[in-house]
This record gives sequence, structure tokens and C-alpha cells, in this order.
Amino acid sequence: MLKKTLSFIVVSLISTMLFAQNSEQQNPVQKGHYNISKFRQLKQELPTPNNQHTASGAPGFEYTQQKVDYKMNIILDDDNQKIFGEETITYHNNSKDNLEYLWVQLDQNMRAPNSKTPDINGSGPGVLYSPSKFTKSFMGKPFQGGFNIESITNMENKPLDYMINQTMMRIDLSEPLASGATYNFKIKWWYNINDYIALQGRSGYEPFPDGNKIYIIAQFFPRLAVYNNVEGWQNMQFFGRSEFALEFGDYEVSITTPKDHILNGTGVLQNPKEVFTKKQFKRYEEAKKSFDKPLVIVTQDEAIEAEKEHATKTKTWKFKAKNVRDFAFASSRKFIWDGMAVDMHGRTVMAYSLYPKEGNPLWGEHSTKVVANTLKVYSEHTIDYPYPQATSVNAKRQGMEYPMICWNYGRPNPDGTYTDRTKYGMIGVVTHEVGHNFFPMIINSDERQWTWMDEGINSFVQILAEKNYDKNFPISRGIPKGITGYMKGDQSRIAPIMSQGDNVFNFGANGYSKPAAGLYMLRQTIMGPKLFDKAFKTYAKRWAFKHPTPADFFRTMEDASAMDLDWFWRGWFYTTGSNDIGIKSVKKYYITDKPTKRAQNMAKRYGITVDQLPPSLYLVSEDSDEFTNDIKNKKPTDFPNLKNYIDKNFSAQEQKTLKTPKYFYELTFEKPGDLVMPIIVEFQYEDGTKERKQYPAQIWRLNDKEVTKVFPSTKAIKKIVIDPDQETADVNLKNNSWPKNTESKFDKFKKQQIKS
Amino acid sequence: MKQSKYVLLFFILIPLFAFTLHKYYVSLTEIEYVEKQKSVQIISSIFIDDLEVDMRKQSNKVFNIDTKQEVDSIDNYFKNYLHQHFQITINDSINKYNYIGKEYEDNIVHFYLEVPNIQHLNSIQIINTSLFQSFENQQNIVKINVKDFNKTFYLTKNNDKGLLNF
Repeated sequence: MLKKTLSFIVVSLISTMLFAQNSEQQNPVQKGHYNISKFRQLKQELPTPNNQHTASGAPGFEYTQQKVDYKMNIILDDDNQKIFGEETITYHNNSKDNLEYLWVQLDQNMRAPNSKTPDINGSGPGVLYSPSKFTKSFMGKPFQGGFNIESITNMENKPLDYMINQTMMRIDLSEPLASGATYNFKIKWWYNINDYIALQGRSGYEPFPDGNKIYIIAQFFPRLAVYNNVEGWQNMQFFGRSEFALEFGDYEVSITTPKDHILNGTGVLQNPKEVFTKKQFKRYEEAKKSFDKPLVIVTQDEAIEAEKEHATKTKTWKFKAKNVRDFAFASSRKFIWDGMAVDMHGRTVMAYSLYPKEGNPLWGEHSTKVVANTLKVYSEHTIDYPYPQATSVNAKRQGMEYPMICWNYGRPNPDGTYTDRTKYGMIGVVTHEVGHNFFPMIINSDERQWTWMDEGINSFVQILAEKNYDKNFPISRGIPKGITGYMKGDQSRIAPIMSQGDNVFNFGANGYSKPAAGLYMLRQTIMGPKLFDKAFKTYAKRWAFKHPTPADFFRTMEDASAMDLDWFWRGWFYTTGSNDIGIKSVKKYYITDKPTKRAQNMAKRYGITVDQLPPSLYLVSEDSDEFTNDIKNKKPTDFPNLKNYIDKNFSAQEQKTLKTPKYFYELTFEKPGDLVMPIIVEFQYEDGTKERKQYPAQIWRLNDKEVTKVFPSTKAIKKIVIDPDQETADVNLKNNSWPKNTESKFDKFKKQQIKS
Repeated sequence: MKQSKYVLLFFILIPLFAFTLHKYYVSLTEIEYVEKQKSVQIISSIFIDDLEVDMRKQSNKVFNIDTKQEVDSIDNYFKNYLHQHFQITINDSINKYNYIGKEYEDNIVHFYLEVPNIQHLNSIQIINTSLFQSFENQQNIVKINVKDFNKTFYLTKNNDKGLLNF
């Protein structure tokens, strides 16, 4: 009997809902629409999966990737700040396609007098012009940068046809390069090295008053563009901002410098005995056994001595690097060099730093240790660092990454003192740039197209590494509350993360902070570290030494976690929307066994008497006229029908574990923001204790504006705060508490000031 | 070589984006007219490291803002700096504002400023030239919120003024 009545109630409830819906359809010409749910799948945004990039987010069995090997002889002319190179390129066409031509990147052409880079940037007159700037700007003496290509020949020294379009060069092949075939050719080139302090740039030289220079040389040789399964040739122009897409390959590089220079580059130095003094060589070898602290290989005294010289003789540094996507090096008389060994599950990896005396004592104290820490933390979250070494080079105003070597700023005051800000800035930049070894040097996404895939992901792991180095490390970028200022900005000045990097308004926030904050939120709040870390590591493992796309990342994160995150990718990555969730109202209810008016009405509608309603409990709101003071102090078990049910169905043992809620709160949450997000609610009780409840984002599935929940409680609630730790990038905190917090940030501050 | 002018401007306009710090040169000033209190309340937020650079340039003095080595009476230097770079004109007359105080948060300093006794608000004009002398591409964002009206200005070296009439 009981069962029958219950099913009647259920049926009648459903029909009540239907009835309510029908009555709302007053406008007969309401327009239909496509699926506009924020939880609809991402199928229309993501490329159709195939056997190269699969639906699971892994590389498929037909995935192909080209390989490009380089043999290069380089001469660094310190007296004239020129660099000369001869390179032999071996191109392996591993694709299933025949290639009519090869595209080569000429990044230095961005600095050529005819560069289009300045033309795409609007600007007005400057406030002041230094004489050198004025001459260069208005008097016809621009910097003569850019590649001078002397020859491009095949292995028989016959010239090849080529065409240069700004920063891209097409090598026209006499016959298509067949799938599986290899092609060898040679390029001879030189260019004027830029003073990057005066002219900017991510490579070049820094001049010192005594005439010495620190060279940080990168993007310095014609490099093959990527030919992959999703873009074909990646030959979008280099305008200076959106960095590179490059193929993996093996390098053999000889670099000739003045005899008194110290140099390190990508790969492993092949002739340390020839280029170091005996003492230096001994220390170079000893450092390989020092796992606890860095050892100095080239000392400050040796560097100071070298600075006074000006050798006319030269020496040649020889490097080999396997399976890397680029090559860079740094060279100077000024370099001090230290190093320590890092244990990578039984394999030794070297952490090195090169810096001038101007970097000390800060650099001697931190740089190499930070390199070691970064390698360890990133390896835990991705794959073991696969290369033999990682070098951090001190370069003024820089922060730029290449495989196994990067340029980092941070120098103390002239008297050697430094502030915490300088120290943390330097540790942050070293962590970030060394971290780039993993994203994108190893997990090799395409930065020309997708800034966030390496900058955003890297900025996220950077936070974990910094906290590991120093648990008090001040983190401001890449956490959700740090991105709200950007996200609540003028919508006409915000682009979605899924935009090409040259076309965004606020590159730092768009490419670095927002994606990092999104991943931080996924890990800490939405997925939890356990699910997130495994999925993130899976992505790294699947795509190490390959070319992943955004879809591969999105799909893998879901594939390895069983979490449907399409709503998150859509909102956070594909739109410019922001999150604003508030608590609109709170209503307190008590329990009674007397049928309420609502129940009476329902009975009436279905033609039964109130007595025919099954034994039930009812909730009465505090502010309704049905509320009577006598029910205020009643426990659920004070009502016979519930008591009877419990006695009949639960053992005495089980009864002890039953909760006895006294109060029922109807919580109405509002969502003025575009994004859907979990609702994190903190309840503060009258007795001073606190409790948290997190409702998943899916709570917004059927109503994007407002949602109501009933929260049972044994204790009376004094205060409710939404997202108390600011985990969800809520851009408006004014509606986040109940009772409403009317005191503004300004008033609060002013009050404090007056008090003190 | 007309293009060369832009070569140089470009190099300055595009900062070194691989930097790990904030990398973008912006400040944010939020201005609200609180009718109940008849006051215009201003919170201006600036990156500390940029401000240090600009204040050093202006006065040849090291401030070490928000460090153990911070100079004494930093507030006086801040007041002085703001006085030179931040101007507010309400109802067509330049207004003095009270410096309520400052608050450090990570790499940002928030300045709390207030213009009291504004009975009616007809117009508001902001000039904010903070950091322009040191950073070519500095952008000072000013958000004005009066009743339900919101307006955002993006002030730059070439356009350092925002005017709003009601």
C-alpha cells in the first residue's frame, strides 16, 4: 500500500512539473535554437580525430614526424660583432607525402632593415629620442640586421633555387622529395649581431664599459620549419613574439671564439680538455660527482683575469646534441662557470650556470641549485629529464629558453647586496626558462600557433617548482585570484586563450597567467591533485619528443581521468567569459509532521484528502505564517512517523550513526558570470566551527543563472561565504557572502588606517 | 628609410615576453563614487618593481619598496610621486585627494586615495602618467564606476587623459 501511494506521489510530482512548464509557454512564436548548453561536448571546436592524432588524445599509429640533422661550423667575430656559419642539413622525410619544397626559418630577418615586423605595429611619436636612436630612426642608419645568405647548394656544390619571403625561405627541389627519403644540402651565411640592450631581442650581445661583451646567441642559423600532420608546413611569419615550431634532430656544432672566451651551448662539450685549462678541466670532472652543492669550474678570479685580455688567437668548442629541436650558445671572457650533478634515477644530469662577476653573489648562491630543483620537480610531473645537462646563463633583462640552455636576468646591486624581490625574480626566471626544457623543448607544442601550450603549461608547473625550492616563494602569477583583474576587464580588449599569439591584446595574461591559473584550478579544485597529476603526466609521456596540439592535451586530460572537462576547456580556453557566483538568498526551514499548505494543495489537486497522504515530514520556512515556535526545537526523531520508520528499518547500532539535522537551509545561488564553475560554500556555525561543501560545476546544467539547494544542518549557520579561498577566479566578491558584506575594500582599509 | 623608425619603436613596444614576471606593463586604477558618503574613492594598483624603476629614475634615489631595506617615510615619496603623476578633476575643477594609505600585495602596491565632499558628480577627468617615463608601452587602465555606470579608459603615453561626463 505504502509503495502504491508513493508512486502516485511521484507521478503527480512529475505532472506538476510538466504543468508548470506548460503554463510558462505563453509566447507561441518562441524561436528554437542549437544546443547552447555550456556542457555540450567540444566536438565542433576540436578537429576530428584520426589515426595520427587519436580520439584518446594520444599519437596514433599513422602519426609521422620529420627529422632534421645539422652539422655546423660557426665563427664568432668578437671584434666586429659578426657571426659566420656553414651548415649541412640532412632532412629526413618521414611523412607519407612527397615534398616539392622545403621551408626554412630565417628569424634574424625580423631585424633586417626591410622587416615587416614594425609595419604591423601601430604607434605614435615618442616622447624623447636619444641621439643614437634619432640617427637610426630618422637619419637613414638603421641597424643592418638579418641574414646574409652567401650560398645554398646541394652536396655537389651546385646552387639550389630558393625564394625568401621575410622570415621564411623556400628551397625549391629539382624533384619532389619522396616519402621516406633523405635530402642533404648546405647553407653558408653571416649576420651582424645586435646589441640587445639598445635594440632589444632575445639574442645578441650585452656590452660592458671596458669593451667586453656577453654573447647570447640563438635563432642564429637557418632552421627547417616543421612539416606535420595538422598544419602541413608551419610557415607562419615570425614577427618577434610568437616563438617557434621546430623539428627534432641531431647536431654537431663547432664554434670558434677568441681564445680567452668561456662558452657553453646545447648538448655536450666534446673537447673539454682542449678548451679548458688543466685546473678547469679537473674541476669540470669533479663537478660531475658533486650531488649536494655546485662546484666552481671557472672561477671569478680566472674570469677577472680573462676580462683584462684581448686574445687574437682562437679556439674551437665542439658540441654534440642528440634529439634536440634547436641549438643555442653563450660566450664571453666574463663567464664564471659552476655546476652540480643531479641524480635522475641512476643517470647523472649536470646543472650548470654561467655568469659574470656582476651576477655574484646572487648567482653563485642560487642559479645552479635552482636549475637542479627545476629538473627534479618537472621530471616528477612529466618525464625524467632526458638530456645530459641544463645551463642557466646570466643575461641582463633576459628570460629566454633554448634546449639545455637559457638566458636569465637578475643581478645584485653594485655593492653585492640584493633585495628579496631581486632574488625571487631571479629564481622565478631561472625556474621558468629551465622549465621550458620540458614545455616546449621536449613536449614539443607549436608556439608560433599556440602560446599557452608551452608558456601557460610551463607557468603552471613553475609554481610547483618554486614552492618546492622555497615554501615561502611569493606566487602572484598563475593562480586563480591573480587573474581576476584581467578577466573582469573590458571585453573588447580580451581575446580567448585559443587565439594565435600575435593577435592578442594582453600577451602575458592571455598566454601565461590565465592558462596557468586554469590548470592550477583544475588541479587544486576541480579534479584534485591525484586525478590531475596522473592525466598531466600521461600527456607528457604521450607527447614527449612529438608535436602535440591543444586537442591532444584536452582529450588526454579527460581520457586518463574519466572527467568530462569539455565545459571547462570551452569556458576557460575558448571564451573570454569570467566567473561570478554569488549567494542570493538564504531561507531557514524547520521540520514538522503537519501537512503544510503546499501539501494540502497537492492533495486537493489530485482529489485525495490530507489524511490520504502517506506518512511524511514537511519543511516550514521560518518566515511563513505556518511557522510556529513549538517546532523550533524539535529533532527529526521527535516525529512519530519518522521514529517508527527508523526503528523498523535500522538496528540500534545503525541508528547511532544517523545524522539528526534540525535546520534546513534553502540556499539560492546566483551566477551573473558567463562561466560555469563549482560552487564552494563555507558554512560558519554559531558555535564557531566551519564546514565546507563543494557542488560540482554540473549544478548549472539546467539553469545557467540561478540554482537552489537544500542544506541540512544540526547547527545554526551564522555566515556563508562562497569560494572563501578565491580558488575559482570569481571576479566579483561583493555577492559572495551572507549576510551581505556591505563594507567595501576601500572602507575596510580606511577603517584599519584610522585605527592604527 | 622611413621604416627604420618603426624598427626601433617596435623593439621597445614589444617587451621580452619570455620574462617570468608580469611581463606586461599595466597599472589599474579603480574609481568609485560612493553617493552615501559623498566621496570619490580611488584604489590605484601598480607593479612595485616598475614603480621602483620609475621613482629611481625621477629622483636618483634607491627606495627598495616593500623590502627590509625600504627607505624611511616611503609614504611621503609615494605622495609626492602620485601628486606629480596622478591628477583628478571633478566637475571641472582640479581636486586634491587624501592619501589614505598604501597596501603591499605580492608584487603590487595598492594606493588608497579619496576625494571627500562631492555632493554631485557631473564630470570626472583623470590624468595618469605613472611609469610613462620609464616604460614606453606602459598602459594605465582606469575604471570608473558611478552608480550603475561603468567606463574603462586605457591611458598611454600618447593619450594620458580620460574624461567622463554624466
